[in-house]
Amino acid sequence: MFFFRALNLLVPKTSQRKKFISSILSAFITTLILLSSPGSGSNGRPDDETIRHKGQRLSIKWDPLTRAPLIIRGIESNLLEIKNFSKLSRKEITHTGPLLVNKYQSLLKIEPSQLKLKGAEKISDTWYVSYWQTFQGVIFYESSLGFSIDSHGRIKSLGALIYPNVQAPVTSKISREKALKIGQGQIKDFKKLKCRLVAESILIYPVRKTNSVDYYRVYAFNFFPEEALHPATTEGGWAVFVDSQNGKVVLFEILMKPLGCCVPEDWVPPKPEEMKPKW
Amino acid sequence: MVNSKFLKFPFVVFCALFLALACKEKTEKSSLPKLGTAAFDFNCFDLKGRTWKLDEVRGKFLLLRFWNDGCPSCRFEMPVIEKYYRKLKNEGFIVLAVNVKQSAAVAEAFTAQLDITFPVLLDSDGKMTQRYGVYAVPTNFLIDRQGIIREIFIGEVFKEENFLRDLLKHYFQR
Repeated sequence: MFFFRALNLLVPKTSQRKKFISSILSAFITTLILLSSPGSGSNGRPDDETIRHKGQRLSIKWDPLTRAPLIIRGIESNLLEIKNFSKLSRKEITHTGPLLVNKYQSLLKIEPSQLKLKGAEKISDTWYVSYWQTFQGVIFYESSLGFSIDSHGRIKSLGALIYPNVQAPVTSKISREKALKIGQGQIKDFKKLKCRLVAESILIYPVRKTNSVDYYRVYAFNFFPEEALHPATTEGGWAVFVDSQNGKVVLFEILMKPLGCCVPEDWVPPKPEEMKPKW
Repeated sequence: MVNSKFLKFPFVVFCALFLALACKEKTEKSSLPKLGTAAFDFNCFDLKGRTWKLDEVRGKFLLLRFWNDGCPSCRFEMPVIEKYYRKLKNEGFIVLAVNVKQSAAVAEAFTAQLDITFPVLLDSDGKMTQRYGVYAVPTNFLIDRQGIIREIFIGEVFKEENFLRDLLKHYFQR
């Protein structure tokens, strides 16, 4: 009797100890795994690394989600050196991006033809050039690839937010008119505020999720009220992205007041004295 | 008699509520940053994961800049600011560039493209932007060593580098 009672007492004790040991072991193993891969991306590769590419040492920061480079820097060498740079025209300078993509295509994983010029400006002696990424001619929302070129034609690094291996629709299934109606419907008091469609385009809108990216082909509309809203509000207008495949609204965002961005050049922002308070 | 007392009570409550709301409204209206007043505190992460607060930069001249990748002025003013940051950082000039409601990836790519070395903060929920009453980008606040707002600039002002040079000269020679 005593033996059985002792056994009964022993069983839970042993199982608790086992649980305790196994929990310590699992915590230890988890810690080891975490410590062995600091900052590693979804495929186990670290987000920052130094690699040798065609004999050149490069420091690369990878986008943990897309595994495309966010930053590429040459170590002890430049990414590209353009000969007779001072003699190049602005147009020729804007062709540097495709050259760079061509050279590092195996890392960037996009085609040179996918670049569309965003801007090129000379500030002091340095040129700053940037591009959008496109897919079948359609711009990716917030995408970019850019770099600076010093007066000797040297490109030391590049920064990019690009999306390789994209699967996105190439045509729209709903009309622009239908999408516009859906977009207008998202704004409360659309008519009362006399909203104007100030800018519109078709875009590829990448939605970054925890482990993947969803790509939507969208009709993007920017609406601004004809009469300014309350002067104290930071709200100026609204951006509505409508999925061109099914008419669903995939983004509704408050825009700041127009000030040289997000609206066409002919848009004249209201003067402060024209913004009469509504109270 | 009872009735008048009964009526007085909701009237007093109504007056109290009215006053409270009026005060609240007044506070909200006057709570936007103004020249010559103390800058608001903030608590924002930069791209390297470091938290920045106003107290940490007290004693330095701070250019607090709100920007967004979508506006060309934001892009092409940055190299000018970077130039003066490098020149004056050892003399107590600091730039905190607050990205307005974009992802870290957007800000990271932008920073690398323009060789920016000053801290880039992420205001992903837009709270800091709203707190500072920023309604357009770029917006710049020049905050002195005591934490007082000395200048507010909305729109493109720094692309002509002489302007920033003269501005900083004015404040650093005081």
